[in-house]
Amino acid sequence: MAEQLSLAAVRGALIREEDSIVFALIERARRPRNAPAYYAPDAGTDDGRSLAEFFVREAEALHAKTGHYEKPEDVPFFPQDLPSPLFPIKGYPKVLHPFASSVSVNDAIWKMYFNELLPLFTVDGDDGYYAETVALDFACLKALSRRIHYGKYVAEVKFKDAPQDYSPLIHAKGTDALMNLLTFKAVEEKVKKRVEKKARIFGQNVTLEDGVDKHEGSADDSECKVNPKVLSELYDRWVMPLTKDVEVEYLLRRLD
Amino acid sequence: MLFCSTTPLLLLQLCSGLSLDTVRDFLTREEDTIVFSLIERAKYPLNPPAYYVPAYFAGRRHDASFAELFVRESEAVQAKAGRYQSQQEIPFFPFRVPFPLAPPYNFTSELYSAAAFVNVNDEIWSVYFSLLLPLLAKNGDDGSYAATVASDLVCLQALSRRINYGRYVAEVKFRGDQQNYTTLIRNKDKDALMKLLTSEAQEDAVKRRVQKKAMVFGRNVTLDGPVETGDSNNGRASFKVDPSLVYKLYGQWVIPLTKQVELQYLLHRLD
Repeated sequence: MAEQLSLAAVRGALIREEDSIVFALIERARRPRNAPAYYAPDAGTDDGRSLAEFFVREAEALHAKTGHYEKPEDVPFFPQDLPSPLFPIKGYPKVLHPFASSVSVNDAIWKMYFNELLPLFTVDGDDGYYAETVALDFACLKALSRRIHYGKYVAEVKFKDAPQDYSPLIHAKGTDALMNLLTFKAVEEKVKKRVEKKARIFGQNVTLEDGVDKHEGSADDSECKVNPKVLSELYDRWVMPLTKDVEVEYLLRRLD
Repeated sequence: MLFCSTTPLLLLQLCSGLSLDTVRDFLTREEDTIVFSLIERAKYPLNPPAYYVPAYFAGRRHDASFAELFVRESEAVQAKAGRYQSQQEIPFFPFRVPFPLAPPYNFTSELYSAAAFVNVNDEIWSVYFSLLLPLLAKNGDDGSYAATVASDLVCLQALSRRINYGRYVAEVKFRGDQQNYTTLIRNKDKDALMKLLTSEAQEDAVKRRVQKKAMVFGRNVTLDGPVETGDSNNGRASFKVDPSLVYKLYGQWVIPLTKQVELQYLLHRLD
């Protein structure tokens, strides 16, 4: 990713990440809500954490030992007390301002995912497969976090393309003005439509009877494993706004 | 089938009844999971250092690859969270966990307990790393070993779940024709059993369907016009995973290994 920092490369990465997000949600939707995975008991376990939080903390500790959180787009949900990498890490070219590694909106992503998104695309029910469920949640969280934190690269590319436009706003700490400059409604509409289309195509029931292009145009959304409208809402209400929050937060320190 | 509405639903889980239909539904749904996981792995290049033996870390030498160490540790975390309590999944590196932290759940067991252990995880491991990966991933090294191996684990788990599901397939078939199967099992007639378990027409349909899924899920979706179907000069380059590789995966490995599991399960069914 960092080797070729151009708007095309960054857009390509964002587009590829859409597929990952759609796949991850489809896989999670295979299991019902499984609410017990998210209960935080007030007594019993060590610190009253939910199974989901326990699992993500442990999984991230393992990822950290393997050097996974070195790149700016890979941001942990529980950064405190993460172990240091135990494996030799391959170096990568640093194309962002050093401040980039401290930009994180993972708290917002976590809350959004469990409180707002999960109820939208999982059915009520409990099948007891809590460990599998939280592993699938972790995959969704990782994909969403990655996509949103790519905003750091988006911001860098935009800044480099027009430093004369961004610098005065950065100096003035004009958050709203920066947000305006970063927003391209037409592009956002395209992104929403495309991710909705992907949900329709990847979430369909593929059989041998129909042609490969069956669900190109209109489709029976109720047959899709995840309602395509959920994807466009996800991107509209959370993914794109949070990405821009990352972009603004990055830019505000860009000239430090 | 599951619908994406918020009304409560009856779930087709093993605990609500094992039948040829539920078994087929499970296997069919697992195809999507397998194709997705392969597509996600193909996002990364081969990254050979992740698989070198020995692996060195924290100044020590380990007689295992980075991949194996990562899988062992991941499975340990998952086991602590309560995975592997139901019989549906079997870890690659069995790990004894005294106190799973997950809320307890009463899983009904549909399998005959003396035969439930049957699995071919060793073969799956070896096929995946030695045979499948070199065909799946492009040459190269981008240094993202942790993400790469995490995606390997997802593939391995999906393949393991699908293939070891042969135990449930065998159980349903046994229940459906108990007398016949019992005779063959008592005679340890492997050939006759394998014949009973094999339906070439069905296997052909499975291979073609999973190949089609690789085409549908692995295509490059854009907003402009009809999407390439792969029969133009673009051919396979436009798919994230080569559909014919997925066809081969099922034909040469997934289906035969599943039948091995079915056979072994049956041979223990009267223990």
